[in-house]
Amino acid sequence: MHFFFRLVFQRVVLSIVSLAAISVIIFTLVEFLPGDAATRVLGRDATPKNIEVWRKRFNLDRPPVTRYLLWARNFALGNWGASLVSVQPSSAGNPGGKTMRSVADMVLPRLGNTLILASCVMAISIPASLFLGIVTAVFRKRRFTVWLSGLVLFGVSMPDYVTGILMLLVFAVYLNWFPPLSLINNAESTLEIVKMLTLPSLTLAIAVTGIAVRMMQGSLLQILDSDYVRFATLKGLSWSRILFSHALPNALGPAIRVTVLSLVWLIGGVVYVEVIFTFPGLGMLLLNSLKLLDTPVILAGTMLLSGFLIYANLIADLLAAYLNPKLRTE
Amino acid sequence: MLNRIIDLFINQNLTFFIVTSLLGIHIIAAISGHLWTPYDPFTMLVGKPFNPPSWSHWFGTDNLGRDVFSRIIYGERFVLFPALIASGLATFLGSLIGIILAYKRSWYDMIGMRLVDLIICLPNLIVILIVLSALGSNMIVIILTITFFFTWVVVQTVRSAALAVVTEDFVIKAKLRGESALSITVREIFPNVISTIFVEFSIRTGYAVFFMGALSFLGYASKPPIPEWGLMINEGRSQISAAPWIVLGPALALASLVVSLGLFTEILSEKLGQSVQHRIK
Repeated sequence: MHFFFRLVFQRVVLSIVSLAAISVIIFTLVEFLPGDAATRVLGRDATPKNIEVWRKRFNLDRPPVTRYLLWARNFALGNWGASLVSVQPSSAGNPGGKTMRSVADMVLPRLGNTLILASCVMAISIPASLFLGIVTAVFRKRRFTVWLSGLVLFGVSMPDYVTGILMLLVFAVYLNWFPPLSLINNAESTLEIVKMLTLPSLTLAIAVTGIAVRMMQGSLLQILDSDYVRFATLKGLSWSRILFSHALPNALGPAIRVTVLSLVWLIGGVVYVEVIFTFPGLGMLLLNSLKLLDTPVILAGTMLLSGFLIYANLIADLLAAYLNPKLRTE
Repeated sequence: MLNRIIDLFINQNLTFFIVTSLLGIHIIAAISGHLWTPYDPFTMLVGKPFNPPSWSHWFGTDNLGRDVFSRIIYGERFVLFPALIASGLATFLGSLIGIILAYKRSWYDMIGMRLVDLIICLPNLIVILIVLSALGSNMIVIILTITFFFTWVVVQTVRSAALAVVTEDFVIKAKLRGESALSITVREIFPNVISTIFVEFSIRTGYAVFFMGALSFLGYASKPPIPEWGLMINEGRSQISAAPWIVLGPALALASLVVSLGLFTEILSEKLGQSVQHRIK
């Protein structure tokens, strides 16, 4: 256990370092976006004097390093700033001038939506990949396994925007079972929300399940061929006992890793699926902010995603190390 | 390695035959498609707008009366060539860096691997989109950004394959014979990791096709009226209930390309004794 804690400590320190490095990379990239915050906010009202005032307000007159440090401190303290483009709805008719929406108010509800979608996908894909992984590994010589593996490969290699479009075409346009738009914030009943979530979750679950099944199958096949499984068979243990208490726990490591990592991918990488089904998630917000060059939102969103990615990696590694003692001795 | 691939043909592996012929059709369409499209892909009103699939228009016509089939054939080149260039460059650079890291080890390897870990933690799609918004989305920038992200994945795979070779006796003997580092890498290490590199190239090409399509689907790569498939899917989305064939054509073309690439990789890697590492993208 002592070793395990040292590993945790090492990895946590390392993750903080990489988070800092990534924040530098992202901040630099965003700096290269055309125009600066002052001209973006002012738009057509830009006069040289106005621009000067706003440049001061955004600290654009300071050197980039100072600006980065200021931003990083504010970001770490949870002060993510205000949007450059989006106006607070309640203040729209306010004659005293408009207030911009705070970035946290924009990002967090979207993140919530995305987490709902991600948990639906996980609810489908974890049982499905466990089942398929075990079936294809145990019955590897049967005819139907070839077909199942083909189907899995299909799920792995199909781009999710193509699967999404085909799903939309079949189930929403032709069969009319599900609504084509997944605007879950405007839904009127729980049933409607469930219906709206079905198609995007299924589309994503196909991709995630495919990859998890292959990992599961690969590691399980290796273990079923190992000496200790053979020995257990020779000892006369029952088939289910060997599978569930000897082989499976050892095979879960890679599958857990993939599942945790795909959870992260579900939070940020599903832009296409969100676009196809008009799902109000974080990816869609980032895409729109990028079109409008709304830099505070881009920075906050991308940093959140990277943070998720780093810590999910960390958790996946630690889980694997915790479950499999062999990995602890490095 | 080559004789094993030829072996696949001789042994009449049916799936492999189908997959390679499909890929062959795709490649022919990409190289020579502009010469034999039934209609000009850019001319409007070669048929009535929104014509469903028929003998004269196999995949129907789109909202401007352009022939969807001709557009798909012509569009192949905007999908396949950039993807091949990006994956080829990434495989080349990645193998080079991977072998060097494995050969040199010590602090080169340390720094290299930390860098790999760092870049793999970046949300690649969003970062590519930021880069494209900053530098403008022309083809060279797109290919280079995709190459950049893929290179590090190749580095990871090739490095670990080369690490296993570097400690082999024949490499140590070659070192003791006093051969130069260049000769050792080219003559001893490279032939032993070439199947890994080949499989990696095949996998990366699949992902590059996916990425090219995705970027133009989001409106960041090709601009209309170029008939790039991702772009066609995006353009046809608004008319999906009235004229589903506008979307269906490019979607099926993309699916057949990517799935046959996936199957090709799968059979090839099995034959070459490699395991395919799929990752979430």
